[in-house]
Amino acid sequence: MIKLFIRYINLMVITIFALVLLSFMLPFFFPGDLLTNISGITPQSLEQRQALEKAFALNESIFVQFQVYLSNFFAGDWGVSSVSQLNLYDEIAYAFPATLELMLYALFVATFVGIPVGFLSGLKHHNPADMGVVTFSIVGYSFPVFWLALVFITLFCLQLEWLPMSGRIDLLFEVKHITGFVFIDIILSDLNNTKEAIENAFRHAILPTLSISIVTTCLFIRFTRRSIMDVMQKGYIIAAKSRGFTQWQIFIKHSFKNALIPILPILALQISTLVTNAMIVETIFSWPGIGNWLIQAIYQQDYPAIRAGMLVVALFVLTLTITLEFITRAIDPTKDETARAAV
Amino acid sequence: MALLDIKNLTLYLDGPGETIKALEKVTFTLQEGEIKALVGESGSGKTLVVKAIIGALPEHWRVKADRLTYKGQDLLKMNYEQRRQIMRREIAVVFQEPTSSLDPSVKLGEQIQESIPDEFVTKKWFWERNKQRKEIATGLLHKVGIREHDRWMNSYPYQLPADVSQKIMIAMALASEPRILIADDSTRGMESTTKTQVLKLLLKLNKTKNLSILFVSHDLLAITTIADTITVLYCGQTVESGKVKSLLKRPLHPYTKALLDSVPSFQSALKTKSPLTALSGTIPSLQHLPAGCRLGPRCPNARKKCVQVPIMRSIQGHNYSCHYPLHLPKAGKKDPTDDKFGEQDPIKFNLINPALEEDSADD
Repeated sequence: MIKLFIRYINLMVITIFALVLLSFMLPFFFPGDLLTNISGITPQSLEQRQALEKAFALNESIFVQFQVYLSNFFAGDWGVSSVSQLNLYDEIAYAFPATLELMLYALFVATFVGIPVGFLSGLKHHNPADMGVVTFSIVGYSFPVFWLALVFITLFCLQLEWLPMSGRIDLLFEVKHITGFVFIDIILSDLNNTKEAIENAFRHAILPTLSISIVTTCLFIRFTRRSIMDVMQKGYIIAAKSRGFTQWQIFIKHSFKNALIPILPILALQISTLVTNAMIVETIFSWPGIGNWLIQAIYQQDYPAIRAGMLVVALFVLTLTITLEFITRAIDPTKDETARAAV
Repeated sequence: MALLDIKNLTLYLDGPGETIKALEKVTFTLQEGEIKALVGESGSGKTLVVKAIIGALPEHWRVKADRLTYKGQDLLKMNYEQRRQIMRREIAVVFQEPTSSLDPSVKLGEQIQESIPDEFVTKKWFWERNKQRKEIATGLLHKVGIREHDRWMNSYPYQLPADVSQKIMIAMALASEPRILIADDSTRGMESTTKTQVLKLLLKLNKTKNLSILFVSHDLLAITTIADTITVLYCGQTVESGKVKSLLKRPLHPYTKALLDSVPSFQSALKTKSPLTALSGTIPSLQHLPAGCRLGPRCPNARKKCVQVPIMRSIQGHNYSCHYPLHLPKAGKKDPTDDKFGEQDPIKFNLINPALEEDSADD
């Protein structure tokens, strides 16, 4: 187990190094002044330019520059935005939790709807309800996320006027930014109308969550259904039936775990897709997350911001993927180091 | 009354355009305390019979039978719960491939303990119960001849050698102290020492616990050592059944004879390097089943009448299903419906097994 852990940590460190190296190289490819691209500050005088060059070690060799970049990066000094001149670290720390929040809602829906529905429809496969689920999952999976979001806005916000169209919460509520997660912030903010604020935030969250989670839920349904159908035909399930165990006992003890083990890594990989989708949907719903923020940065050709934002998203997806892979690998008992060697 | 009574068990498989009879009129009984062997080559439907008995066939396969009873209770008319109760306590199965019949993600100890019925655990508190379960499981493993119980109980199925997992399967089957043990090809691919151990174990259980065993196999040597009676299947049809002794001595059906002839050990007169006998051709696939007696195209003395399914006849408890049984040549000739086809010289067939004839002369 420790060996396995070290192996995954090693993988992570090397990939992070490669990512950081890539992000270090980016300003050299961007158009415009290298110094502005790196620092985000357009020098107004020669002294300022020289001071900046000295700070980023631009006159030294490339290795020294990289070293300076690394130490700045890990110190949390990610430069400033070339447009707003705000500290990028603070900006990202402000925007990122919102994305994470949206992603978690969608993941929650996908897990607690997709997996149970997948199990049910796989266990009762080939009956009309199952066919309905399969049809729904194919249709749902085929929707482009941004289109679905626009349809939801047209339908529920503009036509029916049931739900709010943009943002995380109405501006009336003075929610302070503490953790970045809106519900926690509402509770921590100590408002006099906490209940209304929570309800309002919830109504805001419904449409973005739905438009992201439908695709992922359908995917979860399809994987789970397929997997449980395969497992139910396995010899050990027939053997368990022949031993006269109850259906429930067989499901809990034998099919559930065995059906989840092969699909967990696949499901975990979907989280990166979820992040991407969340970023797209944020733009449409003006959700104050990193996706929205990055798109703004791209519009304004804010190169330091693009660099930092991309690096953060990439690091997040990477950490998540490797951690989940490690967990799924660690709980799978059939992949033990001590396999019996055939003599 | 027979413990397990199967009469005319037919298994329909609805394919595109046609319905295939995967099993056709399989008939046999299993008496209390009997070891019955179900013989047939691969594809003859042995495993299907087992699955029909335990109810593990896919839902769209239709099972029909005049009788499929356990202690007089009709298994086909039972609801799921009743059948589950019988499977829980009365009938146990040891499956063909032991490693795939064990859950790969659960430790073996847990799986064995799971198959112990709750009634056997008499202690009150859960820690005592767990301990008792473990003791029972250990006892079971000792019973089937596994000494390193701790080691195997803490391992996962993929860590087991094949013979140990076969023994563990038997231990799990015995956990509920069943009346019938169905052993589906339990000795396949085992080396002879392990095989002997397993056979000895089965025989011992049969003697001491009066356990009825349905021993499904194609290993004729193993069968003749332990079984009391034999039922031969060919391609989903019951071909012949009877006491092992009488079947070995006087096989009435050409297929049984061919099956016995194919085992050199039964032929003591066989000289070194003399050609071995075997039926030509292979067992037909389910899509291309011949009409009537399914041995027809491969049978050395098939005639026109063989396109009809022969009815099961019985001579002193020895049942056969053939229009032209061996050793009883006259029965065929007397039949007035026999046609000109028979006048053409039927293919010469060694009617009497010389080895067995010699044996009987010694008697």
